[in-house]
Amino acid sequence: MSAGPATYESAVERLEEIIKRLDTGEAGLRETLDLCREGRELIEYSAGELDAVGKGLEELKLDELIERLEGAAR
Amino acid sequence: MTTDPLTTGAAARPAGIDGYPGPFPVGRYAAGLRERLREFAHVCVLGEASGVRFGRGPNVYFELRDGDGGLPCAMWRDDFDRSGLSEDDLRDGVEVVAAGGCDYYAGGPTASPRFTFRVKQLRLAGEGDLLARLERLRRRLAEEGLFERQKLLARPALPRRIGVVTAETGAARRDFLAGLERRGWRGTIVWGYAPVQDRRAAGAIARAIQDLAAVGEVETIVVTRGGGSIADLWAFCDETLCRTVALLPVPVISAVGHHVDRTLIDDVAAVCCSTPTHAAEAAVAVDCGAARAGLLEAATRIDTRGRAAVLDRARRLLSFSRAPRERVTAHRTHLHQKARELRAASRRGLGLRLDYQRRTATAMIGRKRDAAAAAAASGQVRLSARAAALARAADALEARRREAIRAHAAAIRGHDPERALERGYAIPLDADGSPLASAAAIREASDFELRMADGHVPARVREEVEE
Repeated sequence: MSAGPATYESAVERLEEIIKRLDTGEAGLRETLDLCREGRELIEYSAGELDAVGKGLEELKLDELIERLEGAAR
Repeated sequence: MTTDPLTTGAAARPAGIDGYPGPFPVGRYAAGLRERLREFAHVCVLGEASGVRFGRGPNVYFELRDGDGGLPCAMWRDDFDRSGLSEDDLRDGVEVVAAGGCDYYAGGPTASPRFTFRVKQLRLAGEGDLLARLERLRRRLAEEGLFERQKLLARPALPRRIGVVTAETGAARRDFLAGLERRGWRGTIVWGYAPVQDRRAAGAIARAIQDLAAVGEVETIVVTRGGGSIADLWAFCDETLCRTVALLPVPVISAVGHHVDRTLIDDVAAVCCSTPTHAAEAAVAVDCGAARAGLLEAATRIDTRGRAAVLDRARRLLSFSRAPRERVTAHRTHLHQKARELRAASRRGLGLRLDYQRRTATAMIGRKRDAAAAAAASGQVRLSARAAALARAADALEARRREAIRAHAAAIRGHDPERALERGYAIPLDADGSPLASAAAIREASDFELRMADGHVPARVREEVEE
């Protein structure tokens, strides 16, 4: 099991590499299946990242955020 | 006795407040103030021009500033034209010497009252002090490598939490939100509100930035405000603020002023943007709507490729499993074909042999026929010779026979009655022409004819004489 992507942009970059490789048709069956599995994981991760910034705009004042974080710490 | 314009007519007004003269009508008070201010001595002042506005009206407006303060200035356009300066000469940051005096505009139905330093004459005084100080500071920070630190930080393309330092009210806040909306980004914004123009601005902005960075969950910080003169934006050229930004571990995006304004924070920040909207797009590099569509397409392509890879190989395996049977079938077909070709070839060979035999037989027969013909011809020759001999023999025989016949004919002719007739003999013939060979026959016939060599003669038996 490969390590998860560090960032959204690295996930997308790797995803583009995978699709490019698959599009060449040169990958063998084992490699193709591995790439597909990795690609699905990356899509799931990327979709999760997009969902995280798509639920609704939340506006906080700096003091509010600090209070929230301090409350969570207590 | 002189009349004070500030207090004239006070007796006709309602009661005022103890300890203060008046109340006076404010318009009259303003007019009096203007007169007093105009009495101030006219002087020359030195400062940097900023906020220069060449409007459609009769005045040119600008501010004169230095590090300790400033004056709002107005100059009649005619006076400006007489100064020999062009509009390009009087630009923000230019240090000028202005001659004039205090004035006060009392305002009107739609115009606000304001104090101005009425400039009568104007000349350039060299490089602006503010800009010169700014350039010196910029060079020093650059030499310390502080312009590069922020630019080396990894900047997330899709931050979940963005810190924003700006004024609580103003167009910059609204424009920044509009930019995020265009990106389809709906994460968390942490507002670090701070004054962006007054003397306290630089320190407040630096504290807000440090607090946002200290929270730990803010991935990008945006510092923004609208446009203004270099003096208005001076807080963003503060050395302490710029050093704070340069050393911050969180990437800072600056969007201060408009594209023509270049403050020092623009140099030290990770990214410098011309507008708050641009800053929003830089903070969220990903167009979320397009990214979702792209992910959907990527998922479809990956599924398609994966399925195709498996199916292609399954089809190939299936073809492998069919291969032996297909090979046998192919060989069988091949054999059948060869068998057909062999039969056809045999038929063609038999025909050829028959033709050969036929030609051989024909040739043999021909030779036999020719031999036979030759033999026949030879026999014919012999036969002809024999025939000729035979003919000659026949001719000789015939000649001999003719001779014999002639001899016989001569002999016969010698016995021919006709010959006797020629010699005078007669032949008695009855009425039928039959010869009467005896005297008795003649007697019996009585009447008869005598045939002579030259004709017939009737004759009759006479009465026999008695003896």
